[in-house]
Amino acid sequence: MTLLEVTGLSKSYGKQRSVDNISFVIEAGQCVALLGPNGAGKTTTLRMLAGLLPPSAGQISFNGSLPGTDYRKELGYLPQSPAMYRWMSGLEYVVFAAKLSGIPSREAAKVSAAALERVGLAAAGRRRIGGYSGGMKQRLGLAQALVHRPKLLLLDEPVSALDPIGRREVMELLREIRGETTVIFSTHVLHDAEEICDNVILMNQGTIAVQGELSELRQQYSLPVIRLSVETGSAAAGWLESLALKPFIQASQISGGKAVFNVADVALARRAILQEAVGLNIPLLHFEAGSSTLEDLFMKVVGS
Amino acid sequence: MRKFWTLYSKEMLESLRSYRLVWIPVVFIILGIMQPLTTYYLPDILKASGDMPPGMLEGYEMPGAAAVMAQALGQYGTIGMLVLALAAMNSLAGERSSGSAELLMVKPIAPAVIIFAKWAAHLTVLFIALGLGAAAAGYYTVQLMGSLSVSDCLAAAGLYSLWLLSAVSLTLLFSAFMRGPAAAFLALLSAAGMSLLYSLLPSDFDWLPAALPDLSAGQLTEGSVAWFGPVLSAVLLILACIAGASMLMGRNKLPD
Repeated sequence: MTLLEVTGLSKSYGKQRSVDNISFVIEAGQCVALLGPNGAGKTTTLRMLAGLLPPSAGQISFNGSLPGTDYRKELGYLPQSPAMYRWMSGLEYVVFAAKLSGIPSREAAKVSAAALERVGLAAAGRRRIGGYSGGMKQRLGLAQALVHRPKLLLLDEPVSALDPIGRREVMELLREIRGETTVIFSTHVLHDAEEICDNVILMNQGTIAVQGELSELRQQYSLPVIRLSVETGSAAAGWLESLALKPFIQASQISGGKAVFNVADVALARRAILQEAVGLNIPLLHFEAGSSTLEDLFMKVVGS
Repeated sequence: MRKFWTLYSKEMLESLRSYRLVWIPVVFIILGIMQPLTTYYLPDILKASGDMPPGMLEGYEMPGAAAVMAQALGQYGTIGMLVLALAAMNSLAGERSSGSAELLMVKPIAPAVIIFAKWAAHLTVLFIALGLGAAAAGYYTVQLMGSLSVSDCLAAAGLYSLWLLSAVSLTLLFSAFMRGPAAAFLALLSAAGMSLLYSLLPSDFDWLPAALPDLSAGQLTEGSVAWFGPVLSAVLLILACIAGASMLMGRNKLPD
């Protein structure tokens, strides 16, 4: 079932086009990562989806309704740096958010306590938000976005500003949440997207560079590669340069004792390189034969 | 309606936790009681300062209770208005620049409800402050000078509060699209502009909200005034401010 259909969405500020004619479809229950470097237009796209910014052109249809229908009731939104009232307690804030989403008072108290429990803030619920850590604030932000059981959850860089522990906590939560509702989250870290999402939309300079299922993209863009690194400061660097000229190597990237070779035939290349390394007594540190990752795709798309 | 109450109670809770609900009434009470006290004790204060030529104080005549009460309310026109404008200046600008407006506007609420709840909260603080301040001023005036008509005092305070509320509403309007300090400055400037127009050409501009302080004083000293024009223009100005702020808030909801 299609939950969200976006056609020809654009946003321009003066002459600058921040988001340029993007179209995509999101099915109910999917977890989609909006991936791209800073300034790719991810936040602008999410804000347009959240109804905070009017699009310059294009249409958003939610759950089969006519474009332009107000669907904010079905939406949970967490901005990049959520500014919740510092003078409120965590529980008060979630109750406030629940009531504003149209939940009656008595039920709001119940679902808010459950939402706080859910994100692991039950014990800190009575404390003022001003005293929360970054990770706690982000989890509270998730609680207020989830409390009214939205059909669509929009998260803008939910883990980018967190330390490793806070990041871990939020990622674990996201992994649970994605089973319950449709999630779109933006990130500039590919690893985060790979960890919890099955679909990606890769944006660059306001346009969609690539979109699709992660597994398909992985297959489509995987090339046989060999990565190796050698001890620096030895004659091995010269050897890497000489390898790049071999016929079985199609393309190469060499820097500081590390090399990535795109090859036609992994088995052949592996045997040839290892034999040479042994023969020349090369101090190998690392050797890996396999396929290119999405990281390479990401770099290729963003770099071009 | 339920959402209005939710937002209104949030605003009141903020007023309480930021002690706005405490210090603004305290300022108003102090301003209010200063007028009757200094008027009553002026001869003693002057005597205590010494070097008074003899006979200087013989001409001093204690003003009437109504005049003192009118002067006490007049104190709120400057410092009182400044305090209210400063307290209101960040109510929209602050939410916008901190980003909490972003979280608010993504909920299914009309901007007008948010603005109206904020306005109602400022109205509540204003009523509490002016009510307590006028009551304290009235108490000391009655104790020191003589009796006052309660209904005249209520009417005078009501007229004055409408003038102050116009300034607060203007602050709210400017706060919807400007930074806080600029909003307070512009609101006070427009209030001062109206007062200036009224004082330069009183007969041409006696319908402006700026005529309200004079009306309030007139109510106390003369007992009845032609209040219709200024009250109507003040109400219209306040409604226009709320409507304008709602429209601008709908457009400017993201941090700059």
